[in-house]
Amino acid sequence: MRRSFHAGRGLTVLCLGLAAFLAGALVYPVLAAPAARVGIPYRIGFIASVTGPGASLGTPERDVARLLQDRLNREGGIAGPDGVRHEVQILINDDQSRADVAASLARRLIEQDQVHVLVGTTLSGPSLAIVPIATELRTPNISMASARAIIEDPNTQRMRPWIFKPVPENLHSASKQAEYLKAVGINRVCHLYENTAYGQDTFASAKHEFPKAGIRILYGDSFDRFATEFPQVTRVRASGCQAVVIGSIPPAAAVINVAVAGRVGPRKIVHGHGACSPDLIRTAGAAAEGTVMPCGKILVADQLPANDPVRGVNLELISEYARLTGGQPISTFAGHAYDALQWALLGLRTVPDGQPLGRIREMVRDGIERIRNYVGTHGVMNLGPDDHLGFNPKDFVIVTVQGGRFVLLPPERWK
Amino acid sequence: MTQPRWGPPWLAMAAVVAAVGVWELAQPGGLARLSRGLISTDLLIRTGLFTIVLVGLNLLMGYAGQASLGQAAFYGMGAFASAILTVRGRVLGIPQDLLAAWWWPWLVMGLAALAVGGFALVVGLAILRLRGHYLAMATLGLGIIVYIVLRENLGMPHLNLTGGFDGIVGVPRLRVGGAELWPVQVYYFVVWAVALTVVALGLGVVHSPVGRALRALHGSELATESVGVDVGRLKAKIFALSAALASVAGSLYAHFQAAVVPDTFGFVPSLELVVMSAVGGMSSIWGAPFGALTVLLLEQLLRTHVLGLLPAVSGELEPVVFGALLVVIMMFWPAGLVSSRKVQASPGSS
Amino acid sequence: MRSAAEPATTELAARTRRKPQEPFRAPPAARRVLPRIVRPAALAVVGAGLWLLGRRLGYGAPEYLQLLVDGTVTGSVYGLVAVGFVVVYRVTGVINFAQGAFVMLGPMLTITFLGGIGVTGGVPLAAAAATAVVVTAGIAMAVHRFTLHPARQASALTRIIITVGVYISLQGLALRAWGPRPYVMPAFSTLQMEDRLLQVGGVVVQAQSLWVWAVGVVTVLGLILFFERTVAGKAMRACAVNRTAARLMGIRVDRMATLAFGLAGILGAVAGIVLAPSTRPTYDMGLELGLKGFVAAIAGGLTNLPGAVGGGLVLGILESLWAGVTVAGFKDLFAFVMLILLLLARPQGWLEAGHQ
Repeated sequence: MRRSFHAGRGLTVLCLGLAAFLAGALVYPVLAAPAARVGIPYRIGFIASVTGPGASLGTPERDVARLLQDRLNREGGIAGPDGVRHEVQILINDDQSRADVAASLARRLIEQDQVHVLVGTTLSGPSLAIVPIATELRTPNISMASARAIIEDPNTQRMRPWIFKPVPENLHSASKQAEYLKAVGINRVCHLYENTAYGQDTFASAKHEFPKAGIRILYGDSFDRFATEFPQVTRVRASGCQAVVIGSIPPAAAVINVAVAGRVGPRKIVHGHGACSPDLIRTAGAAAEGTVMPCGKILVADQLPANDPVRGVNLELISEYARLTGGQPISTFAGHAYDALQWALLGLRTVPDGQPLGRIREMVRDGIERIRNYVGTHGVMNLGPDDHLGFNPKDFVIVTVQGGRFVLLPPERWK
Repeated sequence: MTQPRWGPPWLAMAAVVAAVGVWELAQPGGLARLSRGLISTDLLIRTGLFTIVLVGLNLLMGYAGQASLGQAAFYGMGAFASAILTVRGRVLGIPQDLLAAWWWPWLVMGLAALAVGGFALVVGLAILRLRGHYLAMATLGLGIIVYIVLRENLGMPHLNLTGGFDGIVGVPRLRVGGAELWPVQVYYFVVWAVALTVVALGLGVVHSPVGRALRALHGSELATESVGVDVGRLKAKIFALSAALASVAGSLYAHFQAAVVPDTFGFVPSLELVVMSAVGGMSSIWGAPFGALTVLLLEQLLRTHVLGLLPAVSGELEPVVFGALLVVIMMFWPAGLVSSRKVQASPGSS
Repeated sequence: MRSAAEPATTELAARTRRKPQEPFRAPPAARRVLPRIVRPAALAVVGAGLWLLGRRLGYGAPEYLQLLVDGTVTGSVYGLVAVGFVVVYRVTGVINFAQGAFVMLGPMLTITFLGGIGVTGGVPLAAAAATAVVVTAGIAMAVHRFTLHPARQASALTRIIITVGVYISLQGLALRAWGPRPYVMPAFSTLQMEDRLLQVGGVVVQAQSLWVWAVGVVTVLGLILFFERTVAGKAMRACAVNRTAARLMGIRVDRMATLAFGLAGILGAVAGIVLAPSTRPTYDMGLELGLKGFVAAIAGGLTNLPGAVGGGLVLGILESLWAGVTVAGFKDLFAFVMLILLLLARPQGWLEAGHQ
C-alpha cells in the first residue's frame, strides 16, 4: 500500500516532469521571442488628403493606415531576413489635397523624421509634387494616385527609379470599357467627365483606347463637380450615341448618372473605376441600377470564385475595416492604401539589421522592385525595373449594380 | 509726416537672414532640430517666396488702396511660364542648346516678369477704373480666368503645354555657369537675395515721391488728380509692379518645387495671400515677411505639434483651429501684426 | 480722420455710409469707360455667336429653351445666396464670406434632423428643414455676436478676413461632424431620392426646379415685405442708408447687424435646402456656391435685392448657354469675362437703375 503509494508518487513526479518538459519545449520559442534581437524601429511616412477635395478618397486611406498600424502593433512589428524584429511606426499626415503642402510634408518626413519609405499621396497633382523630392532625397515613394506620369517620365518613357504605385490607370479602365462596349455591340458613345484631374484623364484615355476597338466618341465634354443642371445632356440627346460613358467619382458621378438616366432614355451608362464606391449606390439610387463599370476585385470580393487568390485578403480587410470604422463599407481607395502600405512592408522585410539610413532606403526600393506574386486587393501583382505598377489589366472585372448592390458580371453574362 | 529711415532695420533683417542661412548651410537640419521640427529651410524658402508676392500686394492694397483677389494668378503665370519654357521648350520649337544653357531659366524668369507686368498694365488700365468691390470682383474674375486657362491647357490640348490638372513635373534647378544652386540650403540664399531686394525696392517706393502720391491717392483720389497726378496710370503701374513681382516669385517657386499644378494658383490661394497680407499688416512693407512667416508657422505648428499629440483627430481639426486663430488675430490686431501707423477707428462703423 | 492706415478699406467703410452708391467717383470725363454703343453691340455679338454655335449642333427652339430653363434653376439658387450677401453688406459694410457655410449647413442639418426623426414624409421633412433654418440662423447670429461685433471698430477688410476665418472653421467642423461623404436629401415632391421629371413641349424639368423657383420668389417677396412693412425691416434699411443718423434716431445698430446675419443665415440655409435634392450635399459645397453668390451679388450692385437676384439669374443663364453650345470646361471663364465686360460697361452693376 505504502509502496504502491510511493510508486504512484514517483509516477506522478515523472509524469509532471515530462509534462513540464513538453510544455517548456512548446512554450520556449514563444517565451524566447522577445529575447530575440530587436532592431531599430522602422518609420513609414504616410500622406493622404484627409481634408479638401480629395477627402472622400483620403479618409478611407487614412483609416486603413490606422488599421495596419494596429495590426503591426499586435504582431510586434515585422521581421527582417535575419529574423531581427522591428517595430513599425506609420506617421500619418494630411496634405489638404494641396500640392505645395504635400511637397513640404514629403521633405519634412524624409529629412527631419528620417522615414525609411514614404507612402502617399491621394491625388495625382500632389503626388507629382512629391516625385522630385523623393527622387532627389533617394527615398522610395509609393503613391496612391492614378496618373501614369507619377511612375513614368512622360518625356523619356522610363520608370522613375524611386516611385511606385499600386493603382490601376484610366488607360486600363478605358480598354476594359472598350472591350465591354464592343462585346455588347455598341460603337457610338458620348463621354461626360467631371472637370477634375481624374475626369480629364478618363477622357484622354478613352480617346486613346476607344478607336482601337472601333468605337467612336460622338460627343465628349466636362461638367462641374457641384453642377445640378446639365446642359451637356441636351447635347447628348442631340448626338445620337448609344451609350454614355461617365468619368467621375461620387457624388458628382451620382448626380450626372441621375440626370442622364432620367433624360436621355434607355441608353447604357458606363462608369469609370472612380465610381467603384458604395457612395455611388447610396447617392444615385435607382438611377444606378444597370450601370456597368470596370472595378478592382475588392468591391465584389464575396462574389469571387472560391479559388480566386485575392478573395481571402479582401474579405479579411473588409471585415477589419468595418470593425474599425463602425460598419463602413469598403471602397477601392482603401484597397489602394492597403496595397501601398503592404509594398512598403514587403520592402522593409528585405532589409537586414544594422544598415545606415541611406542604405535601408535603397534596399527597400530594390525590395519593392523585386515584389513578385503579391496577392493584393486589386489582383496579383508583379513588379520589376520596367514596371512600377505591377497591375495586370486582366484583374479588372466588370461590375454592375443590381438590387442596390455591386454584382460581378463575368464576360459570359455581358450580353 | 516724418519718414523714419528704413536702412537700419533692413540691414538687421538681412543680417538675420544671412546668419540663419549660413548656419543651415554649415549644419543642415540644425534649425529643425533646435525648433523641434517647427522651422525648416523649406518653410523659410516658402516665407521668402510669399514675401516677394506680398510686398507687391501690400503696395497695391495697403498703399494704393486697390483690392486684389486674384494675385495668385500672376504668381501662377510666372511659375507656368518658367515651367513651360524650360520643360516643354522642345514642343515650342526652342533650340536644344538654348534650353540647355544655364542662363536660359534666368532669361525666362526676367521675360516672364516683363510679360506678366505688361499684361497687368494693360488689364489694369481698364479694370482699375472700377472701384471698391467692383475692382475686387474684377480681379477675382481675372484670377479665375487665368486659373481656367492653365487648367484647360491654354485651350490647346494637343500641345499639352500646361499639363492640365496634373501640371508639369521636372522643372530644372537654377544654375550659375556650371554650378547648380541646390540643395535647398543653397537655394535659400537665392530666394532670400531676391526677397530682400524686393523688400528694399518696396521700401524705396514707399519713401519716394511715388509713395507720397500713393498715400495721397489713398486719402482722396480727386484731390490727388487735381494736383496733377495721373491717377489711372499710377494705379496701373503699381498693379503691373505687383504682378511682375508675383511672377518672379512664381518662377522661383517653379524651380524650387520642380513640379507645378494649376490648383496652387486658384481662387483659394489668392484669398490666402490677402489673409497673409492682412495678418502681417498691409499698410507696411514689413508686414509682408511677418505675415507670410506667421501664417506658415501657424499651419506648421498645427500640423506637426498640436494635433500630432491627438492622433485620433489627425487632419480634420486643423482647419477648425486655423480658422479660429485667424479670427482671433484679426480681432486683436485689426491692422495686422506690423503696423507702421496708428490705427484709427472709423467712427460710423458698427 | 481717414488715415492711410486703413488700407483699401477707407473706401469700403466710407461707402457703407453713403447712399446712393457711387461706385465710380472719377471725374466726368473718365466716367464712361466704354462708349454707350459697346454694350448692346457686345451683347448682340455674343448672342449671335451662341446662336451660330448652336446651329452647328442642329439646335432648335426646344434646345435653347431647355438651356434657358436649366440656367434659371441654377441662377435662382445663385440669386438666393447673393441676397444673403446683400442683406449683410447693407447693414454692416462687410462681404460675408461665411455665407457659403450657411448654404452648406442648411441641407446638412436638415438631413441630420431627418435621420433623427427616422420617419419619411412631408411633415417630418418640413419640420427638419425648418429646424435647420432656425439653427443656421442662430449660428449666423452667434458668428456676428462673438466675432464681428467685438471687432466692430476694425476696418471693413479686417472684418471680411474674420468672416474668411469663420468660413474655414465652420467647414472644418462640418468635416469633423459629417465626414467627407456625400449625403442624400429627398426631393420635395416625391419624398424620395428619385425626383419626378415633367415634360413640357420638348423641355424636361425636374419637379424640384419648380420648388426652387417657388421658394425663391416667396423668399425674396417675403424679404421685400419685411424691409418695407415691419419696424425691424425699416430700422435695418435706415442703418443701411446712414448708420450715424440711425443711431441718433435710437436704432440699436449692432442689434440690426446681428439680425442681418440671422437673415443671411436663413437665406443661405433655404438656398442650400431647395438645391440639395438636385445635388448630393457634402461638407465643402459652400465654397463654390458662396463664390458664385458673391459674384452675382456684386454684379447686381451689392446693395440691391432685385439686382442680386437678377445677377444670379444672368450668371446661371450665361453658364448654361455656354456649356450647352461649346465646351463646358470654359463655362466659368466665359461667365467671368462677360461679367468683367459688363462691369466695365456699367460699373455700378448693370441691373441697378442708372444713377448717372
